[in-house]
Amino acid sequence: AMLRASLRQVSAALKEGRVTPTELCQRCLALIKSTKFLNAYITVTEETALKQAEESDERYKRGQPLGILDGIPVAVKDNFNTAGIETTCASNMLKGYISPYNATVVQKLLDRGAVLLGKTNLDEFAMGSGSTDGVFGPVRNPWSYSRQYKDKSVPKSHAEDEESNWVIAGGSSGGSAAAVSSFTCFAALGSDTGGSTRNPAAHCGVVGLKPTYGLISRHGLIPLVNSMDVPGILTRCVDDAAVLLGSLAGHDPKDSTTIQDEFKPFELPNLTDVSKFSIGIPKEYHAPGLSSEILALWSKAADIFKNAGAKVVEVSLPHTHYSIVCYHVLCTAEVASNMARFDGLEYGHRSDRRESTESMYAATRREGFNDVVRGRILSGNYFLLKQNYEKYFVKAQKVRRLIANDFVKVFRSGVDILLTPTTLSDAAPYTEFILEDNRTRSAQDDILTQAANMAGLPAINVPTALSERGLPVGLQFIGRSFQEKQLLTVAKWFEKQVQFPMIQLEEVKRHDNAVFQHQKSASFS
Amino acid sequence: VLNRRCVEAAVMTGLALNCSINKKSLFDRKHYFYADLPAGYQITQQRVPIAVNGSLSYSLCIDKKMSQMVTKTVRIKQIQLEQDSGKSLHDDTRSQTLVDLNRAGVGLMEVVMEPDMCCGEEAAAAVRELQLILQTLGSSQAVMAEGQLRVDANVSVHHAGEPYGVRTEVKNINSIRFLAKAVDYEIQRQIEELENGGTILNETRAFDSKLGCTVPMRDKEGEQDYRFMPEPNLPPLILYDAKSLPANMNHQQVINIDWIHERLPDLPSVKREKLVEQYGILPEHSFTLLNEDGLAEFFESVVNQTQMKPKKVIGWILNDLLSYLNQHSLTVKESPVSSFLLADLLNLLEKKEISSTAAKRVLAELWKGEGKTPLEIVKEQKLELLQDQKELEQICQAVIDGQENE
Repeated sequence: AMLRASLRQVSAALKEGRVTPTELCQRCLALIKSTKFLNAYITVTEETALKQAEESDERYKRGQPLGILDGIPVAVKDNFNTAGIETTCASNMLKGYISPYNATVVQKLLDRGAVLLGKTNLDEFAMGSGSTDGVFGPVRNPWSYSRQYKDKSVPKSHAEDEESNWVIAGGSSGGSAAAVSSFTCFAALGSDTGGSTRNPAAHCGVVGLKPTYGLISRHGLIPLVNSMDVPGILTRCVDDAAVLLGSLAGHDPKDSTTIQDEFKPFELPNLTDVSKFSIGIPKEYHAPGLSSEILALWSKAADIFKNAGAKVVEVSLPHTHYSIVCYHVLCTAEVASNMARFDGLEYGHRSDRRESTESMYAATRREGFNDVVRGRILSGNYFLLKQNYEKYFVKAQKVRRLIANDFVKVFRSGVDILLTPTTLSDAAPYTEFILEDNRTRSAQDDILTQAANMAGLPAINVPTALSERGLPVGLQFIGRSFQEKQLLTVAKWFEKQVQFPMIQLEEVKRHDNAVFQHQKSASFS
Repeated sequence: VLNRRCVEAAVMTGLALNCSINKKSLFDRKHYFYADLPAGYQITQQRVPIAVNGSLSYSLCIDKKMSQMVTKTVRIKQIQLEQDSGKSLHDDTRSQTLVDLNRAGVGLMEVVMEPDMCCGEEAAAAVRELQLILQTLGSSQAVMAEGQLRVDANVSVHHAGEPYGVRTEVKNINSIRFLAKAVDYEIQRQIEELENGGTILNETRAFDSKLGCTVPMRDKEGEQDYRFMPEPNLPPLILYDAKSLPANMNHQQVINIDWIHERLPDLPSVKREKLVEQYGILPEHSFTLLNEDGLAEFFESVVNQTQMKPKKVIGWILNDLLSYLNQHSLTVKESPVSSFLLADLLNLLEKKEISSTAAKRVLAELWKGEGKTPLEIVKEQKLELLQDQKELEQICQAVIDGQENE
């Protein structure tokens, strides 16, 4: 029961001595072991976690815990640098790479006594919307094994069919979402560039927060798109997300894109009266491919607000349909630039080719990167060529400005929060998902989430209801820049209204003996 | 993360070179693959650099004797901030390259001059003046041998009245002397090439100091598209002046151009004028004083400790002291004769206790650095001028008597 508690609840339990950090840590580690088939973790840091838990024990004994996060087991996506711990970005390029430093957000967690259980799985270099394209294999959505999903599935005669029926966790922070969803940790860090925290949060039925760009430091987060990346927060409830936000936000001198203003952590009020709020429903988010289920849910949610006295209005973000191509140009351009540093010379994988530096570089990069990464690098370099720069890159920046202005106009007209779907449908079965390539999938799945990255706005996925197939569906709230408090307050109210059910995970013992081809063998460092 | 000190140095240098300081400048990524460039790109200022449109005035001697100086000016196109790369050391015997990344990422300031100079001498004089300015400002110690100041020369030739010719870029110049040599060689080479009916390639050449010539450098894979892109991690650099400075800004976080301007030290040209005015020495003299590290301070120190007129002291400094130091390749700081000792000596001369011939002998002795004072040396070698009238008469008489005997 302790494992299923919220972060706040378990923190209180630690303080009251009802459980110790070491006990908590041990239980989480045991559960990670018995849910290995989810492939949510690339590296489990058993030794260091237990050591951190022990130190936390001492602090609680002395009555001097560092704060609400002291002793809380957390997980971090494997594209954040963690000192002394392997950081792979789920890529051959960085297999075996041990970070020499902690990302600022990781350091902040550790400074507050959090217990780091391990590094979670992702799409290679955070490129993807399914967590299916990393070198350590795909992440399985814990809901694949839930009673809710199984009850709704067509009865199967063979065990194998059940195996092949598992659904994706979403991406690219699928490992973090799955880890939180399966109770192996109380909070996890993800990253969000085009929806990579909100998408898996929706599919895994957890809260996924994308903070305003510039609020949380990116120092130590291996960059994908510097102008859009943010560290993402995944938790089981909105309140917990606010706790994490309070610990992580604030200016970092090592990241010149963080704002200078002092950040004041806040407690979320228990809102009862939403009549002062104006909720905007952007009509363009009724995107092609949006499932009728989600459309209905979205509508129902709007009604919930209406019935509670809030002002609900239809709004327009006219440049929405340009955002995919615009995102594609800017994203690939920055990716091409950011991936230039992986040459095999200083760190990471190095090919055996010796004839010349050029051939060594070329072979290293071909061997180290998967097709998705290489594809984006090629596209990006194309857009950055002198003859193309104006036509593509500069144009895309201008369109980006238009997209951001759409939001400004809507917020200026009196709307406080926007309500949209997070994904087009519930999680697809893996076998179905991989029928389309990464580029196609990303283009489809990012459509509801990436505009917030283009505009730098805060956005949060709140698990809303189960689909007909028994899988989670979430809805997204987008707020004004740096108005996380307002955003989370409304999200918390909504969360209370919908009472999303807790996942009922089946006994998982029978999966322990199975062998999976891609899965990284248990690395308990 | 931007290094504040680099920005301040660039602003100071821009102001010293009469540039317009761009209150908003931008950073860009310049992409290319090379072993000494760990990120695969260099951060630079391609679109809007920090300072533009300045000028540098420098002096040249018309003739060898340093008796006439003329002032010339070279326009400064821009000053930009950028990152240094690492250093590559090519080991051809083992077919390998050693890469030293220690200086990768360190801030550089690139000063780009317009092609306003006509020969090696002018280039050398301009760079020398720039070097003095940088040292005075503290922007850089600017020692070429240590790579603190790196100079690439762009050279082209053309007939009068015609447009500029194709230029070559000459690298690997490690001293001001070599700069003059490299430029003059390249000018000659281009002229000869063209007169023989050849063409000049827009290439990069390296200066070989042993052979005194320029040679084509290894081809850097032809045309390069650097795929410039704005640096997303560095917001535009905003500088303020007294007028534009917002009231409640944290002083730690901003750079105020006017504040820096007020605190600029005297530039070499100003210092030279002051020396001429204050001490009545010639412009050529003050030029040499500033050209030698520490010499001006030495001179002033001596002047302050002696009654001898500065106009006379300067002779001792430039002729005796400096030539000795040059002969023995010593810097002013390494001089075995301190300003105190020299002043002491000059005082004896001024009080007519010794002749100037004697003074030179004493100085020669002082160079030995044995710790003796001028007075001690004078006494030892019996160099005192006789003051006693009677004694002098006796000596003269003795000499005359001696003459008569022959």
